[in-house]
Amino acid sequence: MRTFLVFLLCAWVVSVSARAQEYEDNDFAEFEVFEEEDELIEDEDDQSSENGGSRGGAEGDIGGGGGGGGGGGGAGRAEGGGGGAGMGMDVDEDEVIVEDEDENDEFSHFHDEEEFIGFDSERPHGARSSKNQDEPKITIANVPLHLRSNWDSFYLEMVMIAGLVVYFINFIVGKTKNQKLANAWFNSHRSLLEQNFALVGDDGGKQPADNGGLQKESENVYTLWCSGRTSMEGMLVELKFIKRQDMIGIVSQLIRPSSDQLLIKVHLDEMDSFVFALATKKTAAKLAKEMTDISTFCPEKKSPEKFGVGSQYLLMNELGEVASYVLGDPKVTAVLSKFSSMVDFFHFSDQYSGPKQPEDTQPTTLPDVRCALVFGFNFPGRGNPSLEAIENMKPLLQLVLHLTDKLRRFKLSKEGKSKAEKNRSRVEEVFLKATHAARAEMAQAKREERKRMEREKMLQIDDPDKQRKWEEREQRRQMKRRAPKMKQLKTT
Amino acid sequence: MQSNHSSDPKRVDKVVRYKPPAQGTPGAPGEDPTTDYMNVLGMIFSMCGLMMRLKWCAWVALYCSCISFANARVNDDTKQMLSSFMLSISAVVMSYLQNPQPMTPPWSSI
Repeated sequence: MRTFLVFLLCAWVVSVSARAQEYEDNDFAEFEVFEEEDELIEDEDDQSSENGGSRGGAEGDIGGGGGGGGGGGGAGRAEGGGGGAGMGMDVDEDEVIVEDEDENDEFSHFHDEEEFIGFDSERPHGARSSKNQDEPKITIANVPLHLRSNWDSFYLEMVMIAGLVVYFINFIVGKTKNQKLANAWFNSHRSLLEQNFALVGDDGGKQPADNGGLQKESENVYTLWCSGRTSMEGMLVELKFIKRQDMIGIVSQLIRPSSDQLLIKVHLDEMDSFVFALATKKTAAKLAKEMTDISTFCPEKKSPEKFGVGSQYLLMNELGEVASYVLGDPKVTAVLSKFSSMVDFFHFSDQYSGPKQPEDTQPTTLPDVRCALVFGFNFPGRGNPSLEAIENMKPLLQLVLHLTDKLRRFKLSKEGKSKAEKNRSRVEEVFLKATHAARAEMAQAKREERKRMEREKMLQIDDPDKQRKWEEREQRRQMKRRAPKMKQLKTT
Repeated sequence: MQSNHSSDPKRVDKVVRYKPPAQGTPGAPGEDPTTDYMNVLGMIFSMCGLMMRLKWCAWVALYCSCISFANARVNDDTKQMLSSFMLSISAVVMSYLQNPQPMTPPWSSI
């Protein structure tokens, strides 16, 4: 109750201050009154003495008001005075002005007839006639409609607030939908995962999670870590949904439709040395550009049609025997043909180091590599997967586990192995050559740092003999270093 | 017992805990640069709204904050999000306190 009262009081104070603010800020408020008066004056143009007085007063006021603006203020005041002086006398208005100006205005002598005898007669349009035209006439500028305070004129603000409300409603709806899809996937695959892994779902916290389940990374990305299976460190499942919570994502989805994605990354303990990738055309271009291992070991794209795989795929393969081993498996080809719209890419590599680092950071050491099998799948339904369709995705996870077991057992032939090793040593050599300059620079910096430290140490020692000796030695060393350079200069 | 079974792939002794990748590593799950871009954009628009008294700039800044919020990671810095919202809301409030007239769209002055 008390808080409500306080709130009411606050609301009242705010409304009163807003009203006061509005009144103060309205620069045209004072003119609105005069506008009416001005109209009145124009109507009463007959010159009775009483009217003259009131008119003088009114116009004097206007003059005072206009004085702030700088224009016509003087004339207005003069006329006002004239009106006052002319009270009860039926005399010409201009003459009254002259009398009055004689007393007050410092420039009144310009209008004195005796000062300029015959001056006006030389000019047909003299000061007297122009005086009549110069009557202070204040024209009130039409205030544009949009400057008047009216709720209708705030339509843009209303549009903005409505947009914000719609955005937040969409945020909640999209977020809920993504959560529902993620749960649907997890519930339908849970039993299969629990059959294969000792740990399903972990958040990486200090306490081992009893029932970790899906971890939310952001409103459209969910992860699931599974571990405790033979010959693998773990498996990271990443559910990458469309940004349904963001209206920009919805709009871009309308322009360029995409589907929800399921990424499965298997971290193997060990595997033979090879890099293999099979991907749809669009993804193949992306992988070849972004992935370090594919771009270094197998950048050329081949068609996998001889293995009976659909023409929508491209093959990037380091060793031919791996392709025939993987794609020669009837189970794999069966899944590839049955779920052709859902399989996006396979990427198996013993040199997996993730996407390339940005160009500006030149690494001086080779990136850390690991054995990894990465599988990319699309959810069915082109951006609107049904819950039954998610249920039917199970064979894809079975394929992942099947290929993991298969590749773990795979051994390269002798030629293949030597070729792979040659490739790896060649890449390492190229890398060392490319980074030679950078490494030399680093070594030089390190050497200089050491020298500086030594110098500081010597300067701290109190023994002048030792210092002198060290300086001499240092000088000799520098001379020696400069000597060949001097010789070179002489010869050239 | 179960782990010794030859056909059972489960290995309880091989359980490895999840190590979340460091934030900012490319390819990490949930890594999305939109949040940062929108944060910066929101900041720029808020400043424009405050300094140049452009109401539409202040509104755009508010929208940028909303987009940044919607795309943020769950364990992102909430302080940054809050300050971005505060800045944009204060830009809107200040611009209407200074001049309570309705907004003129940027294209009307052309």
